[in-house]
Amino acid sequence: MGIIRVNRPAADRNAFEAAWGYVTSIAKGMQLTMKIMLKQLLKLEKSETLEWPEQPATYSERFKGKHFLTQREDGQVRCTACFLCATACPAECIFIEAGEHPDHRIEKYPVRFEIDILRCVFCGLCEEACPVDAIRLGPEYVMAGSAGDKWVYTKEYLLARPQLQGGIASIKVENDKHPAINKIASVENNKSVVRH
Amino acid sequence: MSKQVSFTLDGQEVTVPQGWTVMQAARQEKVAIPHFCWHPGLKVAGVCRFCLVHVEGARKLEISCNLVVQPGMVVSTLRDEVKQAHKWALEFHLLNHPLDCPICDQAGECGLQDYYMEVGLYQSQMTRPKVLKPKALDVGSELVLDTERCILCSKCVRFEDEVTKTGALGIFARGDRSIIGTYHGQKITHQYQENLVDICPVGAFTSRRFRFKQRVWFLKEKSSICPGCSTGCAIKVHGKPEMRRYFRVKPEEDQSVNGHWLCDKGRMTLEHLNPEARLMQAARWQAAQQAWEFSPQTAPFIRELAQEIARLAPQDIALLVSAQYTNEEYAEFFDYFVKQRGITQVYQWREPSEARDDFDGLLLRGDHNANTRGLMAALKQVGIKAKIGDQLEKCVAAKPQLVIALSPEISFTAPSLPEQLAQLNSLARVSLWTTHFSASQWTQLWQLLPLRGFAEKIGTVTNYQGKTRVLKEAFPPVASEVLAISQIIAGLHKEL
Repeated sequence: MGIIRVNRPAADRNAFEAAWGYVTSIAKGMQLTMKIMLKQLLKLEKSETLEWPEQPATYSERFKGKHFLTQREDGQVRCTACFLCATACPAECIFIEAGEHPDHRIEKYPVRFEIDILRCVFCGLCEEACPVDAIRLGPEYVMAGSAGDKWVYTKEYLLARPQLQGGIASIKVENDKHPAINKIASVENNKSVVRH
Repeated sequence: MSKQVSFTLDGQEVTVPQGWTVMQAARQEKVAIPHFCWHPGLKVAGVCRFCLVHVEGARKLEISCNLVVQPGMVVSTLRDEVKQAHKWALEFHLLNHPLDCPICDQAGECGLQDYYMEVGLYQSQMTRPKVLKPKALDVGSELVLDTERCILCSKCVRFEDEVTKTGALGIFARGDRSIIGTYHGQKITHQYQENLVDICPVGAFTSRRFRFKQRVWFLKEKSSICPGCSTGCAIKVHGKPEMRRYFRVKPEEDQSVNGHWLCDKGRMTLEHLNPEARLMQAARWQAAQQAWEFSPQTAPFIRELAQEIARLAPQDIALLVSAQYTNEEYAEFFDYFVKQRGITQVYQWREPSEARDDFDGLLLRGDHNANTRGLMAALKQVGIKAKIGDQLEKCVAAKPQLVIALSPEISFTAPSLPEQLAQLNSLARVSLWTTHFSASQWTQLWQLLPLRGFAEKIGTVTNYQGKTRVLKEAFPPVASEVLAISQIIAGLHKEL
């Protein structure tokens, strides 16, 4: 890449000369394109183009994509329905209905936890507001769909969708702050396991 | 007038009646002195040690709740040593306080949270684990007790001793293991349980009815008047207007009527404001299908009613009126039907089993109608002489061709409502104007017109003392088809 200097045709030159100037500059520009194309055809240079979706694209572990709810070690939802994410949410896309948990040590849990993903702006404030590390924005970025799809993610989907691989990245172990990150990183190194 | 005493509070000269404490004076002057155990409606306990103020010449800081104002006293609430004292007192209160804020209903209106943000903001120096105590105890039909969150301010114990005089609560065990509780696993049974939730400065007592329903910072509050009985306590309704939903009722201080308190029945009145209990659209009984037919259009119903009124002679029409509407509504209703249409049969609709002169000694009165005095005055205004009492049977016996009835609004005030409605079924045409509706219990009435609930209208009500107070519109009506009585009468005017 570089800057190609083109002599601007002077005003008093004739039309043919002016047109010739354009032709030569296009040829000069195409020269660079052709050079790179040939290099890549002859495998002299690596192509940066991905054949997505056949070829997976990888993002940083800290990518803020599709939300998920973390689980307790017994698989129950960690969320205590404190409504802090719903309070912090600038798009007001989180709906929670709290209920009394049969286990009185847990006391409060979300009967319904729904995210209207079409309203979400992926700011990550819900993740930041959560006092119990119950909601995270995961690395899933493929969210296209058609009009008939379910755009309101339910608690069950957020907690245990197939892509989470049985909660591979969402089981929160006590006293371990961000095991999900470690797990994703280890999955990344071990290419035999498909990342969720 | 009693003797006045002057003193200096934060550099301001303040004059209060003799015998007042610094706390009372500060409250009057709107100087905020942080406190937990002091409540204007209860005796002074001085246990939280939080309302410390600096008094010039005193050897140490004094608690303002128990410090009687002396002439010439110089009190400061702004000095650094006062702020420091608050900080250390708060640290002691929070030593064993659990970090329950995410699941605690008090979060958002909690004294500990507020003062921590104001004067605390320290790192806890506690290295030992916190003392664990019983949680989520069932101590009454309306209450859930969490002894771990309690800071032992003893307000609830004093409320039980002084206000309801039931003495059901006490502080048990000693030191950091002290807990609040009831005697021998007994339960609190009186009608004023939720006041304990209101006065609790932390989340130790939470309301079973409101528990986990909503976070308090989402709620908007508006002043209103309790429609539950003839006392007419000043209340605040808390709700989310954008959801058209009310979540709780709390008392508002009004020394001439209810002081600081409100009974649990009064708090139940909000159930009659939410969509589940409401009549949202006009309805007519379809005898062929044995079912109600609802319609979003109210105008055809009003037209039908107008046609009936025009067809019948005034003596064939009767009015059946309950005592739960505002003075303005009565004035308009009687002005139209009695003065303009010449209807002379006006009957009162009351609960037949009511013990009108009952009084529980605190707030709740046997007359469960909010505006009995207003109704009697309105009847007198249009020249109808009547004694207070249920006249529904008399109305049914008179066999009018058309009855226009204003139904009681609050269901606990009218336990015989289903039977009374069944009696009305024998009449040809009943146009029932009502706020609430129960599909399982109500049948066969000619038409139902939806009215606005008590928190959706403006007017005045007259309580048992003869005090007329303004009822304000708290939130917009639950549905656009819900009408004010004046709108229905305006509709009739247009048709006739």
